Amino acid sequence: GDAFLPAPQSISILSTNMKHFLTWSPVIVQGATVRYSVEFQGEYEREYANGSWVPISECSLTTATVCNITEDISATVAYKLRVRAQLGTTRSQWGTTKGFFNRAMTSLTPPLLMVVADGHHLLVELADMGPSFQFRVLYWKKGQESRVQQKVLKEVSSVLHLDTMEAGAEYCVKAQAHVEAINRSSSFSPTQCVRAQGDKSMWL
Amino acid sequence: LGACRVSMSMAEIRAGFAAIKANIQSRDPVRSLSILSHPHSLHKVKSSDRCCIAHHLFTFYVDKVFRHCRTEDSFVNRKISSIANSFLSARRKLGQCREQNNCVCGEESTEKFKQILANYEGLNVTSAAMKSLGELDILLDWMEKSR
Repeated sequence: GDAFLPAPQSISILSTNMKHFLTWSPVIVQGATVRYSVEFQGEYEREYANGSWVPISECSLTTATVCNITEDISATVAYKLRVRAQLGTTRSQWGTTKGFFNRAMTSLTPPLLMVVADGHHLLVELADMGPSFQFRVLYWKKGQESRVQQKVLKEVSSVLHLDTMEAGAEYCVKAQAHVEAINRSSSFSPTQCVRAQGDKSMWL
Repeated sequence: LGACRVSMSMAEIRAGFAAIKANIQSRDPVRSLSILSHPHSLHKVKSSDRCCIAHHLFTFYVDKVFRHCRTEDSFVNRKISSIANSFLSARRKLGQCREQNNCVCGEESTEKFKQILANYEGLNVTSAAMKSLGELDILLDWMEKSR
């Protein structure tokens, strides 16, 4: 008879900054290579397509125990994921995620930024976090915390010019990421301060 | 869309559709007919009616179109799923907005939507569904122009 193959266990979704991964524990069969297949089901499939499941071809008969599901979790609705093991022609039962996953649950980390004083120019460079992300950059002259200014970036360009600084003054900057699709923002990055170049004018 | 401001990931939907547009449109043998644009374009809908007809159109796609578009191509099916789930999410917001703003459909746009349904019913269901899906950019263009 067909050997019994247990369903994958410890199925979970790791989601950070709108990148989503399904992971599971390996099914161990001595001396054999077990393969896995992953399928997803959105709210549409549950409600309007007879509870059908959609296979993810990149994670069909894979030996890995992780699957990048980012491309398929591309709507802000509740999804279910399932994975099964296969050895030769023997297939396990499906192991299904407990509860639902909505990308609005992703954890958002503060953006990485580098603040530069280029002479009198206050510049900031932000690390790209992906197409879903916008950035809110706050900057102020040290000591004038009540006069914070803001710039919103819809896309990451190379370097952003924030302000022309007063000679010798210190300016501070912090930023947060925002994802319009789920209407959420990260916490702010640590504040970074830089000092403008002193005045070079000569007294005659 | 008239009184309704609904945040939806238009870029994601467009990207998903762009990835399968050629495949879907190649399955539509009758190119001379249009579901959404015959006899009049969506662009003629009055702004006060946009919220209501958009909700009708999203319901049309969710209830009638996507379910008849399953293909033998796994990649296409995944993109259709992505668009369908995005439409479901957007329709929910549009529905809430319609209630809050009491958006009603005027006579003209009710007639327009009836025409779309008649165009759809005039074809066999798979052809009608594939044609409607192939015309998605007409709907997306209209929605972005209506912002």
